[in-house]
Amino acid sequence: MNRPNTPEELAPGKYYSFRTEMKVNGWCWAAVLSSFAGECWLLPHHTDWPVALRTVIALVPLVASLLWVRSVAGWVRGMDELHRRITIAACLFATVATLFVVAALHFLVTAGVIPAHFHATAGFVIIWLVVCFYILGQTIFNRRYR
Amino acid sequence: MKNKLRELRAARQWSQSDLADQLGVSRQTVNAIETERYDPSLQLAFKAARLFKLSIEEIFESDGD
Repeated sequence: MNRPNTPEELAPGKYYSFRTEMKVNGWCWAAVLSSFAGECWLLPHHTDWPVALRTVIALVPLVASLLWVRSVAGWVRGMDELHRRITIAACLFATVATLFVVAALHFLVTAGVIPAHFHATAGFVIIWLVVCFYILGQTIFNRRYR
Repeated sequence: MKNKLRELRAARQWSQSDLADQLGVSRQTVNAIETERYDPSLQLAFKAARLFKLSIEEIFESDGD
C-alpha cells in the first residue's frame, strides 16, 4: 500500500524531502519571486511600458498562486484522514489570520501609520504571511493528536 | 471512543508502523487512535475490522452518552 503524504516531508527534520518541497511549494516560490520582482522593481521603475505588458507582470504572481493552491490540494488529497484534517484546519487558520493581518496593514497604510513604500500588502508579503500562519496552525493543531 | 487497537496490535507483535502500513495511514494516526485522541472515520474503522477479522463493535466501543 502506498504511504500517505505527511506534513513532516515539508518540515525541517529527518523526513524532509526537497523533491516533495519543490512538487508542493515550487509555485509558491515562483509566486513570491515574480511578485517581488514585479511590485518592487519592474512595475514602479517602468511606468512607460505598455498596459498589456504591465497587466501580465501584475497577474503572473496570481496565476502562480493558483497553481500553488492546486499543487497543495493534490498533496492534501494524498494524506491520510488525520493529517488531512490537521492540514485543512491549518490552511483555514492561515487564510483567516492572513486576511485579518492584511486588512489591519491596509488600514494602517491608509492612516499613514505605515509608509506606503513598505509594500505591506504586496503579493509576496501576503504569501509569506500565509506560509507563516500555516506553520503556526500546523503546530497548534498537530499538538492535539501527539 | 474506546478501542482495543493497541491490544490487538500487540497480540500480533506488530509495531505502530506495521499497522499503519497495513491500514494505509501514518504512524501518528495509529498512535492518535490508540491513545483515543482521534476517532477514525467509518472507512478506516471498517479497514481495521477487516484486517483483524473482527466486527467494528469488537474493536471500537462508544463512550456512551
